[in-house]
Amino acid sequence: MRITLGLDSTSLSRRYPRLAILATLFMAFGLPLGLYVAALAVFPLNTPERLDAMAEQWLGYDLAGSPYRYIVYTAFLLLVAFIAVNYTAVFGGVSTWVERRVAGRMQSRIGPNRPGAAGFLSWVADAVKMILKEDTIPAEADHLLFRAAPYFSMVGLLLPFVVLPFGEATVVTDMNVGVFYVAAASAFVVVGILVSGWASNSKWALFGGIRGAAQVMSYEIPAGIAMMVPVLMAGTLSMQGIVRAQGGWPWQWFVFQNPAAFVAFFIAVTASLAEGNRTPFDLPEAESELVAGYHAEYSGFRLAIFLMVEWANMWIMAGLAVTLFLGGWQVPGYGAEDYARLLGTGLLPAPGWFGLQLLSMLMFVVKTWALVFVFIWLRWTLPRVRVDQMMSLCWKYLVPGAFLCFVVTLVWQLLVPPAGVAFTGYALTALALFVLAKFAVATRRNISKVAGHRVDLGNW
Amino acid sequence: MAIDMKIERQILRRTETSDEEIVVNFGPQHPSTHGVINFVTQTTGEIIRRSVPEVGYLHRGLEKIGEMVTYPGYMPFTDRIDYVAAMFANEGYALAVERLLGIEAPPRAQYLRAIAGELCRISSHFIAVGTMATDIGAATPLTHGLRERESVNDLIEELCGARLTFNYHRIGGVSFDAPAGWSDKVLRFLDHLDSYIQEWDRLISFNQIYVDRLANVGVITREQAVDYGLVGPNLRGSGVQWDIRRDLSYGAYPDFAFDIPVGTGRFGTVGDCWDRYYVRVQEMLESSKIIRQALAKLPEGEIMAKVARKPKPDAGEAVGRVESARGEMLYYVVSDGSEKAYRLRVRTGSFLAMGIIEELSRGIMVADLIAIIASLDIVAPEIDR
Amino acid sequence: MNTQFAIFVFLALATLIGAASVALSRNIFWSAMGLLSCLVGVGGLYVMLSADFVAITQLLVYIGGVLVLILFAIMLTSQIQEISVSNRSVGLVGGYLIFFVVSTLLSFVALWAPWRLTSKEPVANTTVALGDGLLGTWLLPFEIASVLLVATLVGAIVIARKEVKSDS
Repeated sequence: MRITLGLDSTSLSRRYPRLAILATLFMAFGLPLGLYVAALAVFPLNTPERLDAMAEQWLGYDLAGSPYRYIVYTAFLLLVAFIAVNYTAVFGGVSTWVERRVAGRMQSRIGPNRPGAAGFLSWVADAVKMILKEDTIPAEADHLLFRAAPYFSMVGLLLPFVVLPFGEATVVTDMNVGVFYVAAASAFVVVGILVSGWASNSKWALFGGIRGAAQVMSYEIPAGIAMMVPVLMAGTLSMQGIVRAQGGWPWQWFVFQNPAAFVAFFIAVTASLAEGNRTPFDLPEAESELVAGYHAEYSGFRLAIFLMVEWANMWIMAGLAVTLFLGGWQVPGYGAEDYARLLGTGLLPAPGWFGLQLLSMLMFVVKTWALVFVFIWLRWTLPRVRVDQMMSLCWKYLVPGAFLCFVVTLVWQLLVPPAGVAFTGYALTALALFVLAKFAVATRRNISKVAGHRVDLGNW
Repeated sequence: MAIDMKIERQILRRTETSDEEIVVNFGPQHPSTHGVINFVTQTTGEIIRRSVPEVGYLHRGLEKIGEMVTYPGYMPFTDRIDYVAAMFANEGYALAVERLLGIEAPPRAQYLRAIAGELCRISSHFIAVGTMATDIGAATPLTHGLRERESVNDLIEELCGARLTFNYHRIGGVSFDAPAGWSDKVLRFLDHLDSYIQEWDRLISFNQIYVDRLANVGVITREQAVDYGLVGPNLRGSGVQWDIRRDLSYGAYPDFAFDIPVGTGRFGTVGDCWDRYYVRVQEMLESSKIIRQALAKLPEGEIMAKVARKPKPDAGEAVGRVESARGEMLYYVVSDGSEKAYRLRVRTGSFLAMGIIEELSRGIMVADLIAIIASLDIVAPEIDR
Repeated sequence: MNTQFAIFVFLALATLIGAASVALSRNIFWSAMGLLSCLVGVGGLYVMLSADFVAITQLLVYIGGVLVLILFAIMLTSQIQEISVSNRSVGLVGGYLIFFVVSTLLSFVALWAPWRLTSKEPVANTTVALGDGLLGTWLLPFEIASVLLVATLVGAIVIARKEVKSDS
């Protein structure tokens, strides 16, 4: 029997091209935007005090004194978690499409272009296919652990979303130990990789599992130390506190405010690439060496979970770097007092507040997507490093480098006056712009050097 | 040799009792064994103790078929010996039978053979260097290489109508003459190629990670290369300047001036994986030089010598050696005076390259084994025929 | 009882069952999984005691470090399933003796110790207090611990180097 889900390009979308475009627009903008709006509506309410006040004022119910108040709080938490989980899944899906299209462009081929406009719905089709596939478990595998392993990775992926600030008010909860918490949460991804590697009872998976564990554990150290640099500069471990210590303009970002932070940013991004198993550090699943590494034996929905974790991890990696170093959700020209003024003192804030919140979310999302694009770009450019090179890069260069950044930042915080910091901000921003311009010019020159072929955007 | 390997494999499999050592089958279904090959590999963690290739997995009896069909009838089978560079497999066989018959292809046919062969070398080397980059983990160079290969395939398709298994050569000449305007198209492609190789170098050859992965890995010394009988780019990568096109020249090649690139140890030791890789990249530029000269000097005239439809050579034997993309390709044909060969033997570059893998695999890492296999440019059907 | 107590019971059960399976499982990989459950449960209990920094440290150090190392070591061992459960040299009698003595002692402590009950307060920022404490009042023990750890690290490297040398 043939199952038609409306995603079949040959039937529905070809007969009704407008339907395809509408569906694409809905999936491309409606779904994420809907999630953002839902997040904006629900996240800020997610404090017991606010819920109590709302129940009091609107329903006339004394929630604070009620024996069921924890159930209400938990229900709201679950709603928030539901939105975050869905955002993860949608981002994981959309990013696969983006990655494949970008890779297609880079490799002078087309990429997925069948379901939906520009092939956008292919990630939905892929997900449906994955779910409909048979979930095979090797006979000799440890059945329970084999089934459980993807969820360890999933938990490791979802935990950081709790503290990742999407906007001024859009964060599930602003923990006092946010940065520390994100570093700890990645432990579960390692456990997932190890357990899947062992439970598969396959030599390739075992290799992948061991490699993955060694890699993630090693790179946690430089990543952790490099993440301490913005913590030192902001004087807090809270993610929102770190963002609030920065400003909207590039020269107010931590990355440009001190040379050590500039280096630490690259160390942190490199280390998080390694923690997320992205090329050039995709050793745990190195296709040409280990077939598929730790998820070699997985199929169907469980494989989909592993792949979703891998892609959605990009959001964590990029979002963390943006939050810590690139100013997070800060909107240029708006300070903390603007948010406070618009929020007012009433139960519901002014409409302008919501606009500003959307703007701040937009800033964060745009910056994060830009960084995600860089990750994709790197993946389709660089070869893979070898295990020993991966280790020596970590322990010989990144760890001492991160320590050095840490110490320099300490000294910098003590010695350099605010005027010096401001000057460094302008100087480093100018330097970064200059490097980018040089890069663009060199790229154009290199492209024009090749005779014959011109970049053809026709297939895009 | 095959029997030895079988015993070796059994010994290897039996050693998997120790705590630390495991035996892994690299292949036959593995993404980077370049076809259906099995490498029985004994490892302790990431370090390989030994890796023994299983030769004979893809044996199809092509040599025996050569004894069962007529001389011209065997030509399409030669395509299947090395489908990545089928032009050379055609040419070697044609040369051998022509020597057996005591005829020679007309000059125009010999020039067309050289042009088609060098185009084929370019496309084969793009596959070789592209898959090597993929094996090291960079996915983009292969698709770029395939794009360039498409251009070559278009040109060859215009010449002989086929894109993979060409069946272009005939005993005593070639099957089709170059169509009108073809040489301009070839020249336009070569202009593009010469500038594109620079982009290729920027993209992958001098990429720091790539160089680090390949330099000083899988070093084959000059002596080792000669002892193991390596041929072609694998031999030249070790610094031995030996090329059938120059040293045992055949066809139109004496008329052309070209260099023979050899490994220089630019980033490491002479004979490492990077040297073998870069020899191939440079050879594409040399091929471009040869094609330009051949197109400039292309003589007019016949493309086929006078050959009977079912030639019956006198009893005797002949050898045809050509410089294929994977090194020397040797056809040894014995005739008993009938219209079929009495014995046909093919000696190929990939088979010779398989021999050295066990020697190189001692004490390297798993990822290095992949780099070595890729750098030897092994094409599975060519190993076993 | 209230929600808090339910959460406490859940965490305590996760801890206890995890701890029991560490000791009783015949498959050391499953023992490690039990350890995971035990450690997460203890982390949760820290959160309930308003010790957020310690709870996250528990996650980072014990799951990210210790447990992963244990799993790592297990994956490198050949015989994972059906190992003998405990050290048989002591014998069952001695084992039961120790079990009863220790469990009686622990029960007494649990039931009769004058536990100090604190008022229910929301999680406060403990990081500052911890930092001040470690670098102020408790600087000497902190530094001694660091020196000890450095000595351990150096020792580990020396032992590992010896093995590598004798290998090659």
